[in-house]
Amino acid sequence: MSNKNLFLYIGILIFGLTAPFIFPAFKVQLSILCVLIVLATTWNIQGGEMGYNSFGNILFYGLGMYLCASVQVGMFFPLAEWTESGGEKTFVHTPAQFFQGMAAGLVVAAIVPTIVAGLIGYSILGLRGHYFAICTLGLGVAAGEISGGIEIIGAGQGFTTPPFPDFGGLEARGEFFYFLSFFVLVFTFIAVRTIYSTRFKLILNAIRDNEDKAEAMGIQTMKYKIIGWMISAFFCGLAGGIMGGLVGYIDSTDVAFDGREMGVFMVLMAILGGKGTLWGPIIGATIFHIFKEGFWTFFLGWQYVALGVLIVVIVIYFPEGIMGWLREKYPERFGEVVDEADRKAQVELK
Amino acid sequence: MKIKNIIITFVSAIALLLSTSVVSFAKVVGDKIVLGAAVSLTGKYSSNGVHTQNGYNMAVDRINSMGGIKVGGKTYKFEIIYYDDESNPKRAAQLAERLISQDGVEFMLGPYSSGLTKAMAPVTEKYGVPMVEANGASRSLFTKGYKYLFAVLAPANLYLDVAIRTAVELNGGKGVKIAQAFEQDAFSQDVRLGILDAAKDTGSEIIIDDKLPKELNDMAATLVKVKQMKPDVLVVSGHTKGALTAIRQISEMKVDVPMLAMTHCDAAKLSKQHGKNSQYALCASQWHKTLTYKDKWFKDGMTYDADFTKMFGYAPPYQAAESSAALLVFKDAFERANSFDQKKVRDALAATDMQTFYGNIKFAPGGQNVSKPMVLFQVMCDSAGKCENKVVAPLKWASAELIHPIPKWSER
Repeated sequence: MSNKNLFLYIGILIFGLTAPFIFPAFKVQLSILCVLIVLATTWNIQGGEMGYNSFGNILFYGLGMYLCASVQVGMFFPLAEWTESGGEKTFVHTPAQFFQGMAAGLVVAAIVPTIVAGLIGYSILGLRGHYFAICTLGLGVAAGEISGGIEIIGAGQGFTTPPFPDFGGLEARGEFFYFLSFFVLVFTFIAVRTIYSTRFKLILNAIRDNEDKAEAMGIQTMKYKIIGWMISAFFCGLAGGIMGGLVGYIDSTDVAFDGREMGVFMVLMAILGGKGTLWGPIIGATIFHIFKEGFWTFFLGWQYVALGVLIVVIVIYFPEGIMGWLREKYPERFGEVVDEADRKAQVELK
Repeated sequence: MKIKNIIITFVSAIALLLSTSVVSFAKVVGDKIVLGAAVSLTGKYSSNGVHTQNGYNMAVDRINSMGGIKVGGKTYKFEIIYYDDESNPKRAAQLAERLISQDGVEFMLGPYSSGLTKAMAPVTEKYGVPMVEANGASRSLFTKGYKYLFAVLAPANLYLDVAIRTAVELNGGKGVKIAQAFEQDAFSQDVRLGILDAAKDTGSEIIIDDKLPKELNDMAATLVKVKQMKPDVLVVSGHTKGALTAIRQISEMKVDVPMLAMTHCDAAKLSKQHGKNSQYALCASQWHKTLTYKDKWFKDGMTYDADFTKMFGYAPPYQAAESSAALLVFKDAFERANSFDQKKVRDALAATDMQTFYGNIKFAPGGQNVSKPMVLFQVMCDSAGKCENKVVAPLKWASAELIHPIPKWSER
């Protein structure tokens, strides 16, 4: 890592750590931004690096959300009574119970989706292209419908997650969730960056560029595809667990298995920033979030129209995303060696 | 990596954006009392969200033009900051947070639907922001021990209770066979619980118990079963779309059932949209224009109906009326508290005991309104095909007699 890079990372880290104090009113938005970046970055592992456009990552996100909340409640109180009739009875967590429950919940929320990804990956990752995309789209929809019928997690009534305990004043909840999501973001970034510096990424790229050839070269493509998906599932589950606590209320199709919004947004953010790059999804998610929040305030009721326009603009003018566009414009900055004469010759050919 | 500059520019741009976009409203600016509200302007609840917003606006207009709110010898006017919650609980919770921490709102109005209210209540409760809501009827909202949540409406489990009891009564006190289909959302599921209680009480039997998806546009499967099993009562609840879908398919499939009980008929403008096809449908309603409640701002239901129609071009469903009532409650509480202290306003709200054009309002310790019963109306059409909603129960307000059983399609 060069010195310049080190400064950049330290700068971002300091910004991240001080942000909730500089912008105390924006803690929730910043926490959501962190979650969005995690989702976009991990979606990029399949969609960008591996070339498998998954709409199914929402499955792991929703699973994580329900699991985390269920564990957090179930560890100390009878879960069925908590969710019965939409929460007739209310139990109050002590601060210690709340944090222990959350910690245990997040562990389960990370591990179970990973296992699920491994199990379903074996059958689903045999599909390619559109077939894979459609199949994963179905996963999210099915999960939403099924979870909407399970009484113990509240079914159609929804699931109110444990309220933040009386602890540390008014700002404590926002700060807790911000730092939790920021920590998960940093963890995700380091993990993904490390993975991208290994042969594993090259294998994923090989699968994207030509899966048959990769296989012919002796790569067990199925194994790597499943591992890639499991890594995504791990972080999606964590993100879901945090989001559940942050929102405070889980609804099967509108909050947890929200394929229509979150499921599409994670794809959109990665594409907007530039899929197949490390920084692309991060930039994409940030711009997307700011854009959406902005339109939300200033163009009340039109935010989805604006979003539609944004998608059209991305597809027409930035098909490779922002990072892709920058790369084309300033290839030298991305460490590509460009022969001036060559470039001129190309321009003239046009 | 040479993209450092880009990223630095980018990060600083965000910082700049964030810092400049802090628009700070205070709770009371000059002579304005600023209330915050997230309503569904888009998404599946958008039509009811608009009813809610219109109801709020109507009351704000009326109260402001009739002298405003007098607190501490000074006159104030209401103003509402709206956001669109997109019918999504996740968004609603975020918006509650945003209204309070960014916009500095200290008093809130509720969103549309129980699910969204459920998502917002923990936030307002945490900050101690009094919220008067008019569209979250789920029973579970009132068993959580929330101190700052006040609902001007009767809880959801009471919506169709009367219908079942009426059916049993007409059946000579013997239990009836009930078929029911409910949308998978907090409100409808609560209506379902109410039916289960009523069925148990009256010894009725539930022979069909179906769940309907959220994006509701087909319930043919349930109706086929109804045709086969011939229940005495068919109960359907699924907000506006549920009511529209039920009537459309019942008339298409010519399903004969002696009693059809629903929710949201007036919000769906059933009698207008489906005319004679919607005839005889029984609907639970929080309010009807013919009820005889009075207040000094809107006078009575008929006047409210006329004024609202003049202002917005359509007759007010109860969702609009109850939303207007929420503002009246707030005004009353501010004046009695004679302060903008959140605790004092909260205590004043808890002590509310008033009559509005919409009904009597008095809150139980849980926050629900206990002094206003539900009414049932039936869609009735004259021979020219003009349909109207007429109150049939409770008897005190009934303007027409319940038609039971519903004539068969072949005899209409």
